[in-house]
Amino acid sequence: MNILVQIMHLLRKEITLEWRQKYALSGILLYVLSTVFIVYISFQNIGPQVWNVLFWVIMLFASVNAVMKSFVQESGYRQLYYFQLLHPIAILLSKMIYNSLLLLLLGGLTFVALAFIAGNPVQDAGIFALTLFLGSTGFSITFTFVSAIAAKADNSSTLMAILSFPVVIPILLLLVNLSAHSIGILGSTDIGDKTMLLGAVDLILVSMGLVLFPFLWRD
Amino acid sequence: MKYWWKILGVLILLYTFFMGLLTPLKTGISEASPLSLHAGRSETVTVVGYNSFFTKEKEKLRAWLKLPNGKALAAKRIDVVDDRVAKLTFDIPSFLPVDTKVKDFTLLIDSPVDGASVLPGGIAVTQDTVNLALGDALWPNAEISQLHEKEAITFPFRNILGETIRNTYYHVPLWMSMFIILTGGMVFSVIYLMKNDADADRKAMALSNVGLLLGILGIITGAIWARYTWGKFWSWDVKQNMTAIALLIYGAYFVLRASFEDPEKKARVGAVFNIFAYASLVPLLYIIPKLTDSLHPGAGGNIAFGSQDLDSTMRMVFYPAIIGWALIGLWVAEIILRTARLKDRLMEV
Amino acid sequence: MLIASKKALSTCLLLILPLTFLLAQQDTDFMRSMGKMYVVVAVIAAIFLGIVIYLIRLDRKLTKLEDQIKNHG
Repeated sequence: MNILVQIMHLLRKEITLEWRQKYALSGILLYVLSTVFIVYISFQNIGPQVWNVLFWVIMLFASVNAVMKSFVQESGYRQLYYFQLLHPIAILLSKMIYNSLLLLLLGGLTFVALAFIAGNPVQDAGIFALTLFLGSTGFSITFTFVSAIAAKADNSSTLMAILSFPVVIPILLLLVNLSAHSIGILGSTDIGDKTMLLGAVDLILVSMGLVLFPFLWRD
Repeated sequence: MKYWWKILGVLILLYTFFMGLLTPLKTGISEASPLSLHAGRSETVTVVGYNSFFTKEKEKLRAWLKLPNGKALAAKRIDVVDDRVAKLTFDIPSFLPVDTKVKDFTLLIDSPVDGASVLPGGIAVTQDTVNLALGDALWPNAEISQLHEKEAITFPFRNILGETIRNTYYHVPLWMSMFIILTGGMVFSVIYLMKNDADADRKAMALSNVGLLLGILGIITGAIWARYTWGKFWSWDVKQNMTAIALLIYGAYFVLRASFEDPEKKARVGAVFNIFAYASLVPLLYIIPKLTDSLHPGAGGNIAFGSQDLDSTMRMVFYPAIIGWALIGLWVAEIILRTARLKDRLMEV
Repeated sequence: MLIASKKALSTCLLLILPLTFLLAQQDTDFMRSMGKMYVVVAVIAAIFLGIVIYLIRLDRKLTKLEDQIKNHG
């Protein structure tokens, strides 16, 4: 069975599982909604600049929570079972793809909720969508890999945050900057350049993850 | 000689401290008042020099108000009060050869003893009405020629920095040697994963530990320096931000290692995180300067202080300082490595 | 030892950071006198202090190891 088929099977499994235990998914969705609402109550008047930063901060925390369970919450027996059956790259890639889909959904929901409550400052929807896509991919790559690391330790939920936040900073900086372009706070001079840079960072991290994951996996 | 590199490190650092602290700064203009003059009057500017010897050969002292395009007005009279203070009198014509009401002029003083010193764009001259043709006709266009060079080994004088330009040798190399040492740690993590050699992991741990020390020192010294030059402890500076993120990453690295009991697992997971985190740190070198440009266009008052505006005298101290600090860091790392080896051997018994 | 290094990090920060704030709050004209030369002095002093604290920590760690070896006989 080659890796591509394995990835497809694992993806289908992830989605089915998620669909069966809807409480996990709806928990994350409720998390986003309540965060947006709390932010709105505390700020009331949200300017474009604050909107931009808030959007990504909410996304950041929601993403950590959503992705954390991908390795941490999987039981040891099931992991052992996968290990004997499947290629480690297929396992990591399928989780990364699944998580980026989940985060894309989460980002869309955060956007709708924030736009509904605090207004929609986005002027260039294309750039914003591109940023959201690259952002959820980057978040998913980083957090999935870090959750694989944290799952090896005992106190994994604390570790997850302290391990992943410094690693995700380069991506976050570029995301805030790019979406500031789409909101029109910054002049659109070198969007292509920054998009390329963000894509390159995503690519570096995903290849590092693929190279390193087999070492993490073997025990 | 087994210890040659340790001795070399100490000698290099001694050299940087000796050269960096004892070499004087070039003569500069630290103050001038008043800073704004009016066209059509005879105005007197009191200038306070830095490291200046105005009383020596004071007849040969010359001064100009200069525009960026080279058009200049020579001082009519120069009264030297003492070595530090001189009064310059300018007869400013009623019209200036510029198309704005207010124009910033550069003050230039030349002395055979001190060489030429400038206050770039420091003096604002106001004219009542703009008349370019009259201004061109009235402006004397004094010739600036035969400027002197101070004949000594000196470091450049920059107004905001003053003597703190010397921190280039004590603060900046900390950051660079931190990067060298952390890169070494990352390489040993790779070696550990390839060869599964416990000593390679100890080396990675020791180097990361020293990198953390250098990073903390770099952050603190950077904050002190920034406070007295840019006014705040923290400014959006590439090196400061990179160091802060590196500190977070390596702090997390040690917390991660501490959370494992099993030494083999500790080493393996630690090595994986070290490599992954390092891979995310390097792109920041490109990202932060890029964002700085777009967020702070021409950030006022902040001197771009990269290696490109070091002069050759500064390079003679700056580059050795990086090597010296890296060698000393290596020395400390070696001591930590030996301690860790001892401890692991004790655990086995 | 890893916990010790974590502790050292926090002690370094706890000891040195207030010191720098103290220095900064002092009469700033003093720090700015002589062409801000005292800023250079403060930077060198901070480096020296940081290295000394680090060495003290390392010294303690080694003493503990020596004790352990002695106890093992």
